[in-house]
Amino acid sequence: MDFELNYEISRTVDYLRAGNFTRVALQFPDELLKDSPRVAKALRSELGAGVRLFVMADAAYGSCCVDEIGASHVDAECVVHYGHACMSPTSTLPAMFVFGKASIDIKDCADLIGHCLSSTNKPILVLYGLEYSHALMHLKAVVAESLVLSHSNWGPMVKYSDVIGSVINPSQDCTTEKDQIRSLNGSITNAGFTSGRDEKKILKFGNGRRMENGTCFELGGLTWSIPSDHKIEDYLLFWIGPENSAFTNVVLTFNNCEIIRYDADERRLLEDTSCQRRILKRRYYLVEKAKDANIVGILVGTLGCAGYLSIIQQMKELIKGAGKKSYTLVMGRPNSAKLANFPECDVFVYVSCAQTALLDSKEFLAPIITPFEAALAFGRGRQWTGEYVLNFHDLMVSSGPEAVSGTKEARFSFIKGGYMEDIQPEENGEHEERSLALAETTEKALNLQSQHPNTIMFKGAARSGSEFFAARSYQGLNRQYENLAPQSYVIGRSGRASGYADEKMQEK
Amino acid sequence: MVKFTAEELRKIMDLKHNIRNMSVIAHVDHGKSTLTDSLVAAAGIIAQEVAGDVRMTDTRQDEAERGITIKSTGISLYYEMTDESLKNYKGERVGNEYLINLIDSPGHVDFSSEVTAALRITDGALVVVDCVEGVCVQTETVLRQALGERIRPVLTVNKMDRCFLELQVDGEEAYQTFQRVIENANVIMATYEDVLLGDVQVYPEKGTVAFSAGLHGWAFTLTNFAKMYAAKFGVDEAKMMERLWGENYFDPATKKWTTKSTGSPTCKRGFVQFCYEPIRQIISTCMNDQKDKLWPMLQKLGVTMKSDEKDLIGKALMKRVMQTWLPASSALLEMMIFHLPSPAKAQRYRVENLYEGPLDDIYANAIRNCDPEGPLMLYVSKMIPASDKGRFFAFGRVFSGKVSTGLKVRIMGPNYVPGQKKDLYVKSVQRTVIWMGKKQESVEDVPCGNTVAMVGLDQFITKNATLTNEKETDAHPIRAMKFSVSPVVRVAVQCKVASDLPKLVEGLKRLAKSDPMVVCTIEESGEHIVAGAGELHLEICLKDLQEDFMGGAEIIVSDPVVSFRETVLEKSCRTVMSKSPNKHNRLYMEARPMEEGLAEAIDDGRIGPRDDPKARSKILSEEFGWDKDLAKKIWCFGPETTGPNMVVDMCKGVQYLNEIKDSVVAGFQWASKEGAVAEENMRAICFEVCDVVLHADAIHRGGGQIIPTARRAIYAAQLTAKPRLLEPVYLVEIQAPEQALGGIYGVLNQKRGHVFEEMQRPGTPLYNIKAYLPVIESFGFSSTLRAATSGQAFPQCVFDHWDMMSSDPLEPGSQAGQLVSDIRKRKGLKEQMTPLSEFEDKL
Repeated sequence: MDFELNYEISRTVDYLRAGNFTRVALQFPDELLKDSPRVAKALRSELGAGVRLFVMADAAYGSCCVDEIGASHVDAECVVHYGHACMSPTSTLPAMFVFGKASIDIKDCADLIGHCLSSTNKPILVLYGLEYSHALMHLKAVVAESLVLSHSNWGPMVKYSDVIGSVINPSQDCTTEKDQIRSLNGSITNAGFTSGRDEKKILKFGNGRRMENGTCFELGGLTWSIPSDHKIEDYLLFWIGPENSAFTNVVLTFNNCEIIRYDADERRLLEDTSCQRRILKRRYYLVEKAKDANIVGILVGTLGCAGYLSIIQQMKELIKGAGKKSYTLVMGRPNSAKLANFPECDVFVYVSCAQTALLDSKEFLAPIITPFEAALAFGRGRQWTGEYVLNFHDLMVSSGPEAVSGTKEARFSFIKGGYMEDIQPEENGEHEERSLALAETTEKALNLQSQHPNTIMFKGAARSGSEFFAARSYQGLNRQYENLAPQSYVIGRSGRASGYADEKMQEK
Repeated sequence: MVKFTAEELRKIMDLKHNIRNMSVIAHVDHGKSTLTDSLVAAAGIIAQEVAGDVRMTDTRQDEAERGITIKSTGISLYYEMTDESLKNYKGERVGNEYLINLIDSPGHVDFSSEVTAALRITDGALVVVDCVEGVCVQTETVLRQALGERIRPVLTVNKMDRCFLELQVDGEEAYQTFQRVIENANVIMATYEDVLLGDVQVYPEKGTVAFSAGLHGWAFTLTNFAKMYAAKFGVDEAKMMERLWGENYFDPATKKWTTKSTGSPTCKRGFVQFCYEPIRQIISTCMNDQKDKLWPMLQKLGVTMKSDEKDLIGKALMKRVMQTWLPASSALLEMMIFHLPSPAKAQRYRVENLYEGPLDDIYANAIRNCDPEGPLMLYVSKMIPASDKGRFFAFGRVFSGKVSTGLKVRIMGPNYVPGQKKDLYVKSVQRTVIWMGKKQESVEDVPCGNTVAMVGLDQFITKNATLTNEKETDAHPIRAMKFSVSPVVRVAVQCKVASDLPKLVEGLKRLAKSDPMVVCTIEESGEHIVAGAGELHLEICLKDLQEDFMGGAEIIVSDPVVSFRETVLEKSCRTVMSKSPNKHNRLYMEARPMEEGLAEAIDDGRIGPRDDPKARSKILSEEFGWDKDLAKKIWCFGPETTGPNMVVDMCKGVQYLNEIKDSVVAGFQWASKEGAVAEENMRAICFEVCDVVLHADAIHRGGGQIIPTARRAIYAAQLTAKPRLLEPVYLVEIQAPEQALGGIYGVLNQKRGHVFEEMQRPGTPLYNIKAYLPVIESFGFSSTLRAATSGQAFPQCVFDHWDMMSSDPLEPGSQAGQLVSDIRKRKGLKEQMTPLSEFEDKL
C-alpha cells in the first residue's frame, strides 16, 4: 500500500500545523521501527525546519500506550503514535494516533457477515481492530448493498462500532472521571459518567454507560451504543482482526456474548473462543489465590495512562482495608527475574492499560492480577459473577465509597480448602481494650517462635516484608569475633561468566 | 412417649462418673444402626415393638434408601440401673441414673472419616461383629483407629438370630465360631496395645463380650446367665461366669463340671448347656407355635408376657418373647456402664493424646481431671447440617469446663498457632443443644464429659476446632484428628448456568463443612474440585451439594480425575547445569530417587523439617544408609515445606552458598509442586546441589537470578534421571463365596489389579481376597464386580500406596506418555512437554 497513505502523512501534518507544535515525538512500535526514517523524512519535508521531530522506540511499558515519559525527555509538545494502540487517555500530552491500514477483502468480509446474519437470529455488532477502521465506510456500504440485493430486511440488524477518534487530549484533571475526547471532526463529546456512583450498574454493563438514548459502550478506542431495552448479550459480536490483546480484551469483557472472529489475513471465520474462556477461568483462580495473600506488590505498569496515580492510591487503600500489606514497585515491564527479586510478595497487582493488563505465565513466582481482580479479591464480601473489567478507569468509577457489607462470616479459601482468618483492618483491633494493649504486646514479646521459619517463607505466612526477611536463613554476614587475624588472600576467578579462565583450563 | 425430659438429662450431665460416651463401630452391614435402635428403644423414644425396623440413627433419606449409614449420628440415652445389678460395680458412681451419649457411625470405608470424628469425642466403643462373617477389613480399621485414640472397646457378637434361624448350627459349632470371632478381634487389639490403656482384649467370661440379635432386639452377656444360675448352683456369680465360657463342661447326668469333654453324650460345654441351648429351645418353641410348652418355660425363667402379646404367633411372638427375656438394651447398656470408662476415668489417660500443649498446664490438668470448674476445653469434631438450610450445628465434646448459651468462646482452627492471631476468632455461642432422638433440646449449659451441639459458630469453623474461654489466651488447641483414608478421587464441578457461580461457591463452602473428609479446592486452571475418599463418598457429596447446598441449581460434574505424582527411576545420567538470566550464576544439580520407605517416613512425619538434626541423621543413617554428615545437609523438604522430596547440599567449599540457600529453596518449593512432566507434585526425589558458581556482587546473585534458575536446574535434573509417573493404588478387600472367585479374578485382571492374598475364612464358605487396584481403574469397579459375581462380592477400597508406572512418560506412544498428554490437555498446558534444552544450559 502507498506509504504516504498508510502513514497518513498529510493528516499528521495538518494536525501538527493546527496545534502549532514545534517539538514532536514520533512513537513507533518495534515492528514499524524500520519505517521510521522514511516517515520522519516525509514529515520534515512537509513541515519544514521549524518543527523538531524525535523518533521514540522501545517503550518502557507496552508499545500500545503513549510513552509520555519518553516524550517529556525531549520536551515534546505532542506525540504521534504509530501502529496498534490501546487508546488509553493520556495525562499530560496530546497525542495523535496513526493506526496504519491493514489490507482486508471487503467483499469476502461482507459475504461472511451476511452468512452470519442468516444463521443467527441475533442482531450483529461489528467490532474491529483499529488498523481496519479505514475500511469501515466501504464495508458498511458493501454490506448494505448485499442486503438490499438479497431482498432481506436485515438491514437494521447490523450495527457498527465507531472509532472514538484518532486524537486524544490529556484529561484536564486526572482525578476526575471526565475524559475529554476530541473526535476527528472537532466536535466534543463530554463523556461524563451519568451513572457514576452506581457501582452495580457500571459493573453490570462492563464499559457501558447509560445515556438518554441507550447504553453507550467504549472499549479499546471503539464506541457504540445500543438501545436501552437491549442487552449486549442479545448481540452477536463480529470481530474483524487478528487474535491479539485487543480481541482478548473484547472476549473477556463480554464473556457472556457469542463472539465470532473474522481473520482478515486468512479470510475465514473462527468461532472458537475457548482459549479466551480458559483465560477467564484461570483469572478466577488467580483471584482466589490473591485472597490468601498477605503481602501485595503493586506494579506500576504505566506512567502515561490518565488516572494511574489515583488507581494506585485506590489499590493501596483497598489492600490496607483488607488488612494486607502493600508495596509499590516500579520496574518497567515485569519479567520473572525481576519479580523473583521480591519473593515476599504473594501476589502482584499490575496497574496498566487495558490491553497489557493480562500477564500470566508459569514463569512468574507469584500471580499477577489486574486492579479489577484485586477489587474482587480484597473487597470484603464481593463475589465474582462473571463480568470482567480490564480498564481501570471503569473501576475507578465503580468502586467509589466501598460498600461495607456486614458479613461476619470468615472467608473460605478454595486454595487451602478451609476457612481462613483475614486480618481485621487495624481500626477494629486497636479500639478494643486499650488498657490491656501494653500487657498484650509484652506477652507476645516473650512468646517462643515455635513456627519453623521455612513455613513463614514459603506458605505466605509472613505479614510484612520485614517478617519475611526475619525468617530467612541467611541474615547477612556474621561478624567474627574470634580469629581476628586477617586471613590470607585467595586468588579469585578471572575471565568471563560464560566460562572463567580456570574452567577453560580444566576443559582442555 | 418420652420417658425423660431435658431437665432430667441435664441433671445427670453434672455427674461425670455416671456418663458414658461411646460410639458403635463395625464393618459395613454388621448391624450397627439396627442394634443402636434397640438401645434407643430402651430410652423410650421409639416403641419397643418397632425396634429393629426403624433405624433411628439413619436420619437421611438416602441412608434409609440404601440401607447404609452415611453420617454418624449422636443420641443421648438415659438409663437407670437397679441397685441389685450395680452391687458388683466397683467404680465411682453417684446414684443409679446413667447418661449414655451414643454415636452410631457408618461402616463403609468411604465414610471412615465419620468414624474418626465419632471416636474423638467418645471414650468407649461398642464393636459390632457379625457372628457369621466374623472380623472383616473395616472391623480391623476401626479397631485400630479406636485404640489409636485410646478408646476402650467392648465387643458384641451380632446377628445371633442367623445361627438359630438361618444356619441352625448346633451348640458346639456355634461356640467355635464365636470363639474364633472373639479371638480374631483380640489379635487385632493386642497388636495395637497401649500401656496406659491397659489390657484392651475382650473376654466373654469377664462380661466384655455380648451376644446380640439387633434385628430382634435381644442380647445377653454371660453376666445375665451367670446371675440366673449362680443362685441355682449356689456358687459365686464370678465363678459361674468363668464356667460359662471356655473349656468347662457340664454333664447333667453326673451333675459335675469338668475341664475336658468326658465323651458322654450328655456332657456339654457350659456355654452350650446353659446359654445356647435354652435360647434355642425358646426360639424353636416360639417359631413352632408350641404355646402350651412355651408358657411354663417362660414362667420358669421369670418372664411374664402381657396378655395381648400372648396372641402373637411365629416370628413376632419369638421377637417379643426374646425381647422380654433378654432385652438388648439392658444387656448392652449394662455392659457399657460396667466396662467402658466414664469421662472422668478416660480423660485421665487420654489427655496425652488430646492436648497439644504442655501436659502440666492448667488446661491439661483440667482435661485430666474432667474439671467442670476449670477452663473450657471443647473439641468440635464435626458440623451437622441444621434444619434451616445452610446453617450448621457445631458438634463436639466438652473436655473440661462448661459451655453455655451466650458464652464468648475463642475458636482455634486447625492452623492456629499459640501466640499468634492466625485462624482464631472470638465469638459467642448462640445456643447449646443436646440431641434426644430425632429432636434437639436447648439447654442452658453443658458441663465437661458430654457431647454438645452449638448454634452460631458455623461461620467460623470449617470442619473442626478447639473452643475455649475468651480470656484463655495461652491455651493450646486439642490435637487434630488423623484420618485413615485420604481424598484421592477428585471431580471438577462447574455450574450449568454461569451466573450460578456464587451459588456453587456457597454450596462448596457448605459441603466442605458438612463432611469431615471432603476437600473443596480450586485448580490452577480455575476449575472447582471436589475430592473424596471413594466413588460412593463423592456420589453422596455431590448429591448433597446439588440438592441441599445449592438449592437444586444444576451442576456439571467431570469424570473422576486422579492425581499422579512424578518421580525418578535412577540417578541423573549427568550433572545438569542451568545459568541465571544474567548468565553470571550457575547451578549444577543431580536428581536421584529416594531410598525405599523414606518418602513414606516423611509422609508419616517421622522425618520432617522440624526434627532435631541429630535425631534425623540417626534415622537416616540407621534406616536408610545415609552418610551421617550428609544427613545434616538437608536444605529443605517440599512441596509445602513438608513434602516427600528434598534438596541436599553436596557442594564443597563454595563461597556465598548460604546466601542463595533461601532462593534455591524457594525455587524448589515451586518446582516440586509442579513437576516438569505433567505439573503434578513430585514424590520421592532427592535433589543434590553439586556445585554452584556465583557472581561476586551480591546484587547479581539475588532471588531474581537464583529462584528461576533453581527451578530450571531442578527440572533439568528431573528429566535426566528417567522421570516416571506414580499412580495411586487402592488396597481392595473382597469377601465372596467360592463360586464368585472366578468372576472376581476376571474383573481384577481386566482392571489391572492383582491379587496378593486369598484366604478362606475358617469355618465359612467365604473367601477373603486382598488385591491392589489402580485408583484410575477403580471407577465403576464395584458395579462391574457385582455384575460379574451376581452381587455376591462386596469390595472395600482404601488408598494404600503410590505405584510406579513402568512405561516412560517421555516416550509419546507409551501408556504413561498418553496419560501425560491427557493430564496436560486437561490442565490447559501445551501438549508437548517442555524439552530438556529449555532447562539445561551449556557452558
